[in-house]
Amino acid sequence: MSSTLLSVRDLSVSVRSEAAPRLLLDRVSLDLGRGEILGLVGESGSGKSLFCRSLVRLLPSRALVIDSGTVLLEGQDLLQASEADMLAVRGGRIGMIFQNPTSHLDPVMRVGDQIAEGIRFHQGLGKAAAREAALEILAQVGFPDPKRQYLSYPHEFSGGMRQRAMIGVALSCQPDILIADEPTTALDVTIQAQILRLLTEIRDRTRLSIILITHDLGVVAQTCDRIAVMRGGRVVEENTKRALLAAPGHAYTKALIASHPSIPARLSPVTTTEAKAASPLRPLLEVDDLHVSFPSGAGLFSGQPRVFNALNGVSLRVMPGETVGIVGESGSGKSTLARAILGLNPIASGHVAFEGSNLATQRNATLAKLRTDAAMVFQDPYNALNPRMTVGETLAEVLRVQNKVQPAQIKARIDELLDLVGLDRDFATRKPRSMSGGQCQRAGIARALAVDPKLIIADECVAALDVTIQAQIVDLFRDLQRKMNLTLLFIAHDLAIVRNLCERVVVMHHGKIVEEGRSADVFAMPSHAYTAALISAIPDIDPDRPLHALPLRRADSLRGMSSLSLQPST
Amino acid sequence: MSVLARPAFTPGWSKAFGTNGALAAGSAILALFVLAALFAPLIAPYDPIAQDAAARLAAPSLLHPFGTDNFGRDILSRVIWGTRIDLQMAFFGVVFPFLIGTVVGTVAGFFGGVVDALLMRLIDIILAFPFLVLMLSIIAILGPGLSSFYIAMALVGWVSYARLVRAQILVLKTQDYAVAATSLGFGRLRIMFRHLLPNAIAGSVVFVMSDAVLVLLNGAAISYLGLGVQPPVAEWGVMVAEGQPFVTTAWWVTLFPGLSIVALAFGFSLLGDGLGQRLGVAE
Amino acid sequence: MHRYRFVLTRPLQFLPVLFGISVITFILVRLIPGDPARVILGTRATPTAIANIRAQYGLDEPLIAQYFYFLRNLAQGQMGRSILYKIDVLRLIGTRVEPTLVLVLASVVLSVLIAVPMAALAARNQGKAADQAVRIVSTLGIGFPPFWLGLMLIIVLSVQLSLFPVSGYGNTLADKLAHIALPSLTIALSLSAVLTRSLRVSMIAMLSSDIATAARARGMPERIVFWRHVFPNSLVPTINLLAVNIGWLIGGTVVVESVFAIPGMGQLLVRAIFSRDYMVVQGVAMAFACATVLVNFLADLATVAADPRIKL
Repeated sequence: MSSTLLSVRDLSVSVRSEAAPRLLLDRVSLDLGRGEILGLVGESGSGKSLFCRSLVRLLPSRALVIDSGTVLLEGQDLLQASEADMLAVRGGRIGMIFQNPTSHLDPVMRVGDQIAEGIRFHQGLGKAAAREAALEILAQVGFPDPKRQYLSYPHEFSGGMRQRAMIGVALSCQPDILIADEPTTALDVTIQAQILRLLTEIRDRTRLSIILITHDLGVVAQTCDRIAVMRGGRVVEENTKRALLAAPGHAYTKALIASHPSIPARLSPVTTTEAKAASPLRPLLEVDDLHVSFPSGAGLFSGQPRVFNALNGVSLRVMPGETVGIVGESGSGKSTLARAILGLNPIASGHVAFEGSNLATQRNATLAKLRTDAAMVFQDPYNALNPRMTVGETLAEVLRVQNKVQPAQIKARIDELLDLVGLDRDFATRKPRSMSGGQCQRAGIARALAVDPKLIIADECVAALDVTIQAQIVDLFRDLQRKMNLTLLFIAHDLAIVRNLCERVVVMHHGKIVEEGRSADVFAMPSHAYTAALISAIPDIDPDRPLHALPLRRADSLRGMSSLSLQPST
Repeated sequence: MSVLARPAFTPGWSKAFGTNGALAAGSAILALFVLAALFAPLIAPYDPIAQDAAARLAAPSLLHPFGTDNFGRDILSRVIWGTRIDLQMAFFGVVFPFLIGTVVGTVAGFFGGVVDALLMRLIDIILAFPFLVLMLSIIAILGPGLSSFYIAMALVGWVSYARLVRAQILVLKTQDYAVAATSLGFGRLRIMFRHLLPNAIAGSVVFVMSDAVLVLLNGAAISYLGLGVQPPVAEWGVMVAEGQPFVTTAWWVTLFPGLSIVALAFGFSLLGDGLGQRLGVAE
Repeated sequence: MHRYRFVLTRPLQFLPVLFGISVITFILVRLIPGDPARVILGTRATPTAIANIRAQYGLDEPLIAQYFYFLRNLAQGQMGRSILYKIDVLRLIGTRVEPTLVLVLASVVLSVLIAVPMAALAARNQGKAADQAVRIVSTLGIGFPPFWLGLMLIIVLSVQLSLFPVSGYGNTLADKLAHIALPSLTIALSLSAVLTRSLRVSMIAMLSSDIATAARARGMPERIVFWRHVFPNSLVPTINLLAVNIGWLIGGTVVVESVFAIPGMGQLLVRAIFSRDYMVVQGVAMAFACATVLVNFLADLATVAADPRIKL
């Protein structure tokens, strides 16, 4: 390892509240070498972001105080430095980029000016010289036409390009250290690979040191030199990448590695097809040449109403008891498909048949059937539950409306449902805001089960959860699937999870199904180029299986005609 | 930021009330006025319309703490009795618009389509008129008086509530829990009034308080102009108008009724701020 | 600049609103009990005049037809005659536009000049004494009735300190501005209270926004964070707020013109109501409504200029 640039010793941060002060960072010590990429891994609430904010003394709340410790940047203790000195350190020595470039870039300032601002402030260059330097940086971070894009505003770019702009803004101050706080979490997997590649390139070229905060072990495995694992405000383990991944010492690290979805499943996907094949059943769900379109920006006086085709002829068959995964990046139309199947989106043309009943021709009858025999689980567990109702009230209401259970039995049934999803029975009296994301998601699944459905459609239902919680929810689905012979349509952008859970997988791209088949086959030998690109872009936890950042259809990364993102950003 | 994640759930009424100074102060001010209105006959030292030629325009003294007007009427007593009228104006001037607007907004937002489009156009048209101008025009037709004021309020005031609730409903109906309710086969009425409205209403409840301030000021202004409450009834706006000719010599005639309006309005505003903080609504 | 294309299309969208305004003002006058001809002409009208009016407004025909007569008259600039002032309503309003316009403009400028520094002071010192003071003052300020505040300002600034004239409107520009100073201050004080409160909230939100965090993380001093990032991003809410409060502002001028005896449209409206001069009431209401529509259009224009994301 090269010379140490930053040395943190016993950094403690606590929150002052009416009750006793609570320790959020507990004597954290870490070193960062010049040109090194340090991965800081942990789940939400582990303190990894707070740690980095503490380094530059930008705490997210006034209730937070740095209790003790030293942060030595080449001998200078940043915790003792004056506020004026810190202005030179922030940006100039330690730069930051963030998870959500959309909210961190100034929307009313031209991208180029935001880069030039840092150059003028930290390097004292004049207007014209700063502009020249900014153009150079734009080219460096991968803008194909800097002169034109200098004048653009952030909203005119796609998410990936905005993150490049953020990196450009950080680089404009010429820092020695770059803190990247979940820089790729909000991005699609192919774009993620490009951004990670860009960061390592910059490091190789400029000897920039990087602290990469992430929850994804795959990301650190692919990019970092060293890994520190944080949990509950402490560094539980720290080592070079290979040593840590090969021989994790701490139980939590082992659990993290075990729950990482890129590890081949310990449990093979539920295989019930053989049993089913014996009995010639008709499909539970049949989708035939489905088209769905939305009006986009059509105005009364702006001429022709424009439409955005979210689904372009999708056909799909799901047999009873099957578990089918639908994967694709944001905007691929997978959520639209889910909603169209449930009759929640209008269909432009094509057919959806549920148990032989056709949604297009017998709309009311089919809807009635869908409402009593199908249920949905949503992405954002908090948003999916009525915030004013307790879990018990939510479940009771479903049971009452569905009228499948005697009113006297409702209480017992609620207990049963809570047991099924692994929640304590006293959760019946709790409201969503007093529960964790994973608990809310379990309540959401209980609500779906309350219908006693034949079909469950889970739309990105683990995307908003921490990895270990993700693994638990996936296990829950596997469990339920086995116990209740559910038919499950599992929508996700995370291919690894789908591979672990689903026997069959459908790959969507731009509103079309580009590939379909048994999970094992598709993942082993993708036949479509897009599937191949998607799979190779997944950061593998094995550092020896390097990341392929294919410049997949460059036009995709620039804001084009298909800019309408259907997937709510996480 | 992870540390700023959902605040810990802290039950306990007194605790929430204790940290919410605005709510406590606002409630206290409002309670004071309500008590004054209820017990006006007991508290007021004089008859509010009894004239006393000997005590015309008397400066504040122990006998008349707020002084007297040009008919020798006791200002303090008139201010206390005026509380009844002004509180009543603020109450009815808000309740009818609130009820009408909430229902209209919910239905328009939920169903959308032609009904919504037509209602929105109507709202645009009503909003094109400055509030007070439309109020005055309607009162010009109906003739001056308190009942005209209430009718005009009901005709004009619902618009803000309808817009507010509709905007909320439009957002809420795309939320996952609303979609979930549809996919679970819940009826439209149930979704509208049990799932959407309770979550949409918080904003309007807070707005009720700032609207009460507007209604109070407008009601007093209309009375000041001579088109609302008619003399000799003690109403704060009327009292200011009656004191205006003597403003340079007998400042107390206009000062105290005006201060009462300011104080009552302050109470409503504080209550609104406190409620907003409590319900987690920022205006 | 296709973002500004709405400048051409938006006036078309005003048509339904303008149509609605005409319908409402038409109905308002027709709702007045009694013979419409006498409503238009007053009680002392001659039979010949009444016959003429019946023909001009089509008063013997169905209501729908009457509305089209009304529209035709409007298109010819015929808004009736004032009973009180004995002149054409349109010309009468024309003579009253200037004082009101000057008053409104002065009030807007003053209230922005008061509100922006106040809100900035409060937001940058959130939770401290300065913030508390601004919050209390602005919360109190919202409840100040303009008619009363005007009188109080007269007592202190005109009578006691002799700084401004008590009432009326001048002839020369300097004289006019002197006369308009107190009335516009009256309106500005209550309007700026509304503006300050909202602006403070949006500035505080912006100060803890990701944009501000990112700027601080690049080592920008608080001064630059505030004026180059927070403030420009608070402009759009301010403009919208001003547009929303235009009704409040005009309502304020109606009252304040009466307090200070300024010969503007507001004072005209109040006098016309008292004299049952309904054609004037109708005309002024319509003029105010059209002005509001125009202001909203200007606000849209300003919003698009201030935020590149907004497309109309």
